Parts: sequence; C-alpha cells; structure tokens
Amino acid sequence: MNYSGILTQLIVGLSRTMILFIVSSGMSLILGVLRIPNVAHGSFYMIGAFLSYTIASFLGDVSYSFWFGIALAPIIVGLLGFFLERVFFSYLYEREHLMLLLLTFGLASVLGDLVKLIWGAEYRSMTTPVFLQGSSEFFGLPVPNYNLFLLFIGPAIAILLWFIFNKTKFGKIARAAAADKEMVSAVGVNVNLIFSLTFVLGCILAGLGGALVAPIVNISLGMDHSLIMEVFLIVIIGGLGNIWGAFLGSLIFGITQSFGILIWPQFGIIFPYLAVVIVLLIRPRGLLSSTW
Amino acid sequence: MKSIKNLFFVLLFLIFVSFAEGADVIKIGIVDTYSGPATTFTKDVLDGFSFALSQINQKGVLGKKIEFVTRDDKFKPDIALTMAKELVLKENVDILMGTISSASALAISDFCKKEKIPFLVTFAKSDKITGEKGHRYVFNMNENTEMAGRAAAKVLSMKNFKKYWIAGDDYEYGHAIANSVFNHLKELNPKIEKLGETWWKVGETDFTPYITQILSAKPDFVIVATGGAGMVNFQKAAQSTGFNKKIPFYQHTAIELSTLMPQGKNAPEGVYGTANYLFYYPETKENKEFVENFKKQYGRYPKSGALYGYITAHMIAKAFEKAGKIDKEKFIDALEGLTVDSPVGKVEMRACDHQIMLPTFFGITKKSPDYEFLIASDIVSIPAKDYMPTCEEVLKQRK
Amino acid sequence: MVKKSIILITIFTVLIVLPLIVPRFYVYLTSIILLTGLLATSLNIAIGYCGIYQFHHAIFYGLGGYGTALVITKTNLPYYIAFIVGPIVAVLFSLIIGLICMRLTKLYFGMLQISLGSLIWAVVYRWYSFTGGDDGIHGIPVPDFIADAKGNYYFTLFVVSISIFILYRIINSPFGKTIQGIRDNPIRTVSLGININVHKLIVLLIAGFFGGVAGMLFVVVDNAVFPDMMFWTYSLEILIMVLLGGMYTFWGPFIGAIIIVTLRTYLGSITQYWPMILGLILIFVIFFLPQGIYALIENFVKGKAHNADS
Repeated sequence: MNYSGILTQLIVGLSRTMILFIVSSGMSLILGVLRIPNVAHGSFYMIGAFLSYTIASFLGDVSYSFWFGIALAPIIVGLLGFFLERVFFSYLYEREHLMLLLLTFGLASVLGDLVKLIWGAEYRSMTTPVFLQGSSEFFGLPVPNYNLFLLFIGPAIAILLWFIFNKTKFGKIARAAAADKEMVSAVGVNVNLIFSLTFVLGCILAGLGGALVAPIVNISLGMDHSLIMEVFLIVIIGGLGNIWGAFLGSLIFGITQSFGILIWPQFGIIFPYLAVVIVLLIRPRGLLSSTW
Repeated sequence: MKSIKNLFFVLLFLIFVSFAEGADVIKIGIVDTYSGPATTFTKDVLDGFSFALSQINQKGVLGKKIEFVTRDDKFKPDIALTMAKELVLKENVDILMGTISSASALAISDFCKKEKIPFLVTFAKSDKITGEKGHRYVFNMNENTEMAGRAAAKVLSMKNFKKYWIAGDDYEYGHAIANSVFNHLKELNPKIEKLGETWWKVGETDFTPYITQILSAKPDFVIVATGGAGMVNFQKAAQSTGFNKKIPFYQHTAIELSTLMPQGKNAPEGVYGTANYLFYYPETKENKEFVENFKKQYGRYPKSGALYGYITAHMIAKAFEKAGKIDKEKFIDALEGLTVDSPVGKVEMRACDHQIMLPTFFGITKKSPDYEFLIASDIVSIPAKDYMPTCEEVLKQRK
Repeated sequence: MVKKSIILITIFTVLIVLPLIVPRFYVYLTSIILLTGLLATSLNIAIGYCGIYQFHHAIFYGLGGYGTALVITKTNLPYYIAFIVGPIVAVLFSLIIGLICMRLTKLYFGMLQISLGSLIWAVVYRWYSFTGGDDGIHGIPVPDFIADAKGNYYFTLFVVSISIFILYRIINSPFGKTIQGIRDNPIRTVSLGININVHKLIVLLIAGFFGGVAGMLFVVVDNAVFPDMMFWTYSLEILIMVLLGGMYTFWGPFIGAIIIVTLRTYLGSITQYWPMILGLILIFVIFFLPQGIYALIENFVKGKAHNADS
C-alpha cells in the first residue's frame, strides 16, 4: 500500500472516529457528572438512528429532510432521556455504581425490544443527503464528501461542549457538582436540575451520533451492543467527564482499529483493546484528568 | 412437608402435560433468527413455508395436517441448540428446520444426528453442513458457499478480466465464498492472477477505507464476499465513492431483492451478482402465479427465502406421502432423490449428499422504469447440474 | 439450623430421584440450572462477599468450557485431565487479569476487567483454526457413562454439590469472615495487619476456578462451547441472577439462577421479547427488592414462625 493510500485511509478512519467521539462525549458527561455507567447510552444512539430514518423518510425526497432528522432526532432522544432520568435514575444516585449499571442494562434491554416493537427487526437504510453525495479526490483516491462533513462536525461539537462547560454558568456548576455534590447543593444550587440537564445533554449527543451515522450504515437492532463497549473503553482511557479525553480516546481507539486491520487482518479487532490495556496500565485513571 | 407434596404434584402435572401431545398432526419445529438484521431473510422463509402449508393442509398429508412452532435463536448457536433440544425433547416435533446462522445449523445438526431427527437447513450457507459435517439426518434446502462460488466462477471465466482482487468479511462465510470463486476461476482460466486480498471484521459498517485501498491497487475485477447486512453497506460505500464505475465487482446475492430494495434508486449499477431467486425471472406461469399469490397474502414480493420455505414445505409433504406413514427413517428414505415443482421449475433433493439442486441466476444490477429499486439485467440461468460439486467430491470431505 | 438441613436433605433427595420420574428435557434443564447456579454462586463470592466489581465473570465460565473442549478435541489425553484443565485455565486467567486489575478499585476495576475480558473474547471469536471462531466447537465427545442425559445429570449434580459445599465452608471459615471485613470496612482490616490485595486475589482465583468448573460442566451437558458464553452481556445476566436472588446471601444467587434459567427457557420459547421481560424484572428488583428474593423468603418464613409462636 502506498502513502496516498495510507493518507486516505487515515482521513476516512478519522471521520469515523468523530461519530465515536460524539457518542462517547455524551457518555463521558453522564459518567463524569452523574456517575452512571450508562449501558443504555447505546440504545439512545440506536434510537437516534432509527428516528432520523423515520423523519427523513416521512419528509421524503427533499433537501432539508436530512437536516430535520439531524436536528429533531437528538431532541426526541433528549426528551426520552429526561423522562427516564426523572422516573428512574433520580431515585438511585445514592446507590452503588453496580445498581446503576444493572439498571441501565435493564433499560437497554427494554429499549432494544421497544425499538423492535416500533420499527420491526429488519434493517433499514437511508441515503446521504444529495449535496453530500459523491466524493472528492485526495491524491487521486476518492474520499466521500459525507466523511469530510463528519471531519468538520466532530471538532465543532468538541468546541461547543468545551464552551458550554467552561464558559457558561451551567457548565461551571455541573463541573463543581461532579467534584463535590454536597458542597454545591449547600450553596443553594438546584443540583437535581443540573444533573437532569447533564443527562439530557448526554442523551442528545448519543442521539446525534446515531442520526449522523444513519446514512452510512445499516440501521439495525444490535447497533447498540456493538457500540457501547467501545464507547465505555474510550471514556475510561480518556478520563471520566473530560471532553478532550473522550476526543483523545476516540482517536486512539479509531486509529488502532483501522491500522490494526491493515497490519494483521485476522486479529485487527484486538488492537484497540490492547491499546486500552496499555493506557490503563500506565495511567490507571485515564489519559487526561478526570473529574472524579 | 406440604411443600414437597406440592412439588410432587407439580412434577406429575409437568409429566402429564409433556406426554399429552396429540399425534394427529405432523409437527415441525422451526429454529431461526427472528430478532436482529437476519430477520430480513428469515421472515421470508417462514412466510414461504406457511404460504405453501396453507395449500398443502387443504387436503392434508396422510389424513393429517402439518403444524409448526417457531423458536427465536437470536443468531446465537447456544440458544439455537437449547431451543432445538426443547422442541425435540419437550414439544416432540417430528422434524426440525431453520437457522440462517451456519454456527447454529452445525450445532443443531450434531444434536439431530444423535437424536435421529431429520433436520432441514433453510438458509445457512456453510458447505460443511452437507460436506465435512454431513450425515443421514441433515438436509440442505438452499445453495451453499461452494455452489455459489462455482456458479459465479463459471460465468466470470467467460469474461475478460485478468487481475483479480479478493475482499470480504473476515469470517467463515466470507473466506469460503471468496476462495470458492477464485479457486474455481483459476481452474477454468489459469491465466488469471490475484493481486491481493482485503479482509474486514464482521459487522464492519464503513467500507470506504477498504475501497480506497483496493482502488489504489487498480485490479480489473474484485470479488467481494460479504454477507447479510454487509451487502447493503458495501454497495452504499461503492456508490458514494464511485467504485462500481471504476472497477466492476461481484457479490453473491448482489442482485437479490433483499440487497437492492432497501437502497431504492440509489443502489450502484453494474454490480455482478448471483441469486437463487428473482421474482421477475424466469417469466414462467408458475413463477408469476407464485409471486401474485404471495404478494396478495403478504403485501410484498417474495425473496429467495420464500422460495426455500416453499420448497421445504412441499418436500416435507411429498416425502411423508411417499413414505406412507409418519416415520422418521422412512421419511428420510423418501426424501432422498425426491423432486417437487417450484416457481423456478423442478427441483431435486440429491440423494447422495442431501443437497437441494437449485438453478442459480447470474445478472448485473441496473435501474428499471418498472420498479422503485434496481433489478438484474443480462440474466444467465445456470442449471444445478452445471455447477454443483459431484457426489464423490462432497462425500470425500466426510471422513 | 436443623430446619435448614432438613430442607437441604429434602431438596437433595428430590434432585437424586428426579431423572427417574421426569422426562428427559427436564433432566437436561435441571442440569443447566445446577451449573448456572454454581456459576452465579461463584460470582457472588467475589462481588457479594468481598465487594470486588467482577463485571466479566462469564470469561472464566467460557475459559473453563473452552479449556475442557480443546483438550478433548485436540489431544488424546484422558478425559479426567480435560475436566481438570478447564478450571485450571480459568484460574490462570483469573490470576493474570486479577494482577493487572488489582491496582484499580470499584468501577475502574470492573471496566478494565471488561476490556481485558473482551480482548480474550475477541481472540476466541476470531481464532478459527483453534477455537472454531464464531461457530464454537460442537459435538464434543464425553465418556459413555456421562454421555446420556441421566449420566451427565448425575455428574453435574455430584460436581455442583461438592463445589457448593466447598464454597459454603470457605464463606464460613475465618478467611470468609476476613473478606467480608474487607468489603465492609477496608481501613479497619488494614489496621488489623491484613493484606487486602492478597486476600482479594485469592477470592478472584476461587471465583474464577468455580466459574471454570461451571464451564466444564456445560461442555459435559451440552457437548458444545460457544464464544457467546463469554460475551459481556452474559456476564451482566449472571450479575442479574446474583442480584435477583440476593447478593449478600449464600443461597440467593442459586435461587436467582433457577428463576432466570427457567424463565429464559419457558418465556424464551413463547416470546421473542425475553430481553424486555428480563429488563423489567431487573428494574423491578432494583427498586422494590434490593435485598433479593432469598431475603424475601427468609422474612416470610421467619414471619410465619413468629406468628405460629405467638
């Protein structure tokens, strides 16, 4: 394989990493601030993908149907998250992580079957929006325009999240609450509201990841399970609750994965896991400082 | 002590229930995947099967009706095996059928060999099922990887491609299909060469990196061995990179409805593919009638799964009638060499290796004014006897 | 105490005569329940009694199964060696994973264990020539005397009974008290001069060993191994059994296993929506039965006894 091949490989690999990043940044927030190891995060991602499919096919072949899907699907997922947080999680914050983990596993099982009830078990497929179809040439090799679009949107989301958590009042309180919940509520801040909003934000990110991935994959049951473990590991190696950690973790995960397959196709799948083990052996609490 | 008494009664009741099964029906147990992406294929098998049963049961078989129960294996061989055990040991089914997963099929096949229960595989494609792991009680009701590869090689050998590239899912199905196509191609046309191979993990969702890798090597033709959901994904990536316009490629089942319909008008044109069934070809009375009635009942066009299900039901009914009584050993003897009519003409169950003999259709994807999705053009029909491995070749694999 | 042993003896007697009176399927089902019960009980030693977040216990179950299966299918060694090798493989990996994860606590420990476990799973899942890849290995021969349903049932019953007895003795030994001390009050335990890490590691080895025994029994009963045995979702399912039955009780996880395996078999055959049912059960237990079903039964029995007294 020549250098230009490797370069395009890198570009495409990076663009896929952006979706991993968007989903894992949501997970990172929820794990960092609320301390919920949320297995149901993958379900929100899957629901986001199915919703954007439904919205796009409901609107039909119009140019804005894709944007509608991108905008609306995460919001609906966010509302679902809000409902679940109020009904289930808000009663369990004092319990062990183990209970929270199992609760989210229970929710993931229920949500997975609900998706099956609503959308059926067959896989769906949607097309990329017209203006992002086709590809651009890089050193004589094509890179699909949609992947370039993803390369742009990933960092944009990262900067937006950084802004929210460093420059707004909400973000500052959320970070303080993550570090010391009692302290923050003692000064008269409604911590429950902050927690709720953070959870919803995390769900919106999962839904957005799902909506963004929808045009390039088969939308199917089980896409939650295949993603969730990767996202967990990314968040752990990046450092809980750290947006840039999630970004770095996604890069490590995505790149070891794409190059692992090039080097040793049969066992390419194990390289990201190896990377995780090595990172955790050197820095047990993740690469960047976690909020814990 | 009272609780023990109760427990005893519960046990008695359970025994009673399990022995109280009536014997006035022929009971078929179906283990297949009804959750997850594979449902796209298995639902058609089930509908084709019950569609045929509704005809068969109007007059009955040996004065009995054929009934069936289904179990969902979730594409997991361990669940499939448990369900098969439950169907045989508890539900007392006469025959087992199903599974789209080769792993499940092999696991159940092994159990059926031990229990002496006939097992009709309806969608799993591993050639081990009737080859290396074949035995008296297992029958394959659809084509396998070896057959698909030979059929494709036969047609490709007539084309003028020299430099081939092989790519596919890095698991058994992918390797089996790709190797089968290439090896037989090499036999038929020794001048061809293999430039390289690309394998991706199963469930890979974005094929663009691999496509760019293949493009940079500039082969004449690519054999792409993906299965299930990967079919659609790969075609989408081919469409968005313009791959199909630069280098022609072959995928088994590329021209099938299950691959082309989800993509609508956006599927790539010019893709070479093989399929066991196309609802618009052959344009015979039998096929038209089948499509029309199936569509009336289920509101959609039948896919290859429907054909497998339909043939399986007729094979079972006819074999029991030929056997003259409900007896598993006699059923197997009757099924060997049996012929039934189907929408694709007469099909035979080959006696030597229990492999069904189906024609294969080869075609190239093309837009059509009549449908909202692409269909196959330049269709070539390859009769079963022209591409199936011989009995000796298959039986040699069984040690 | 006397009452408890009467109950145990009765259950044991019923289990011994069971294959003589019920059809084969129920014998098979009971075998699966017994070995799954052992699996859940072995997990509980780590997570319930010592408070270690053993999130990927299914790995040891799978390794026990694969260890046994590979020795039988790839070598000509006698069967009893295969039955021992399975659990030993599980213990070895417990040791390696344990040493790596030991530096972390709680959630981090659990997550690192899941990632190491997934690594093992990925290798097993991919290594076709050795492990059979996603097909698994089936049609594994076992000696004639345990080949039929009754034979492998009695073998399972025998091994599970002995294992449970050993685990029971461990929990009620001074060592068992120490590890519960580590769970409840680690600082105090350290001040007593106890090496927490060594104790935790031993607990992990014990849990891994008996998880491996359960995996070995699965090979005997089902003559097959599959990579799904060690997929992370199955680990969570075992955790659910433990939680449902009662995490801080000895018999709870076994009861959890009985309930989950029975429900899975029956509901799984009539509905495709078993995961949803499992999820709803889990949510219900977390909110309304955090102590588990065993505690419920115990309270019920005690309450009854109390009523009878007064």
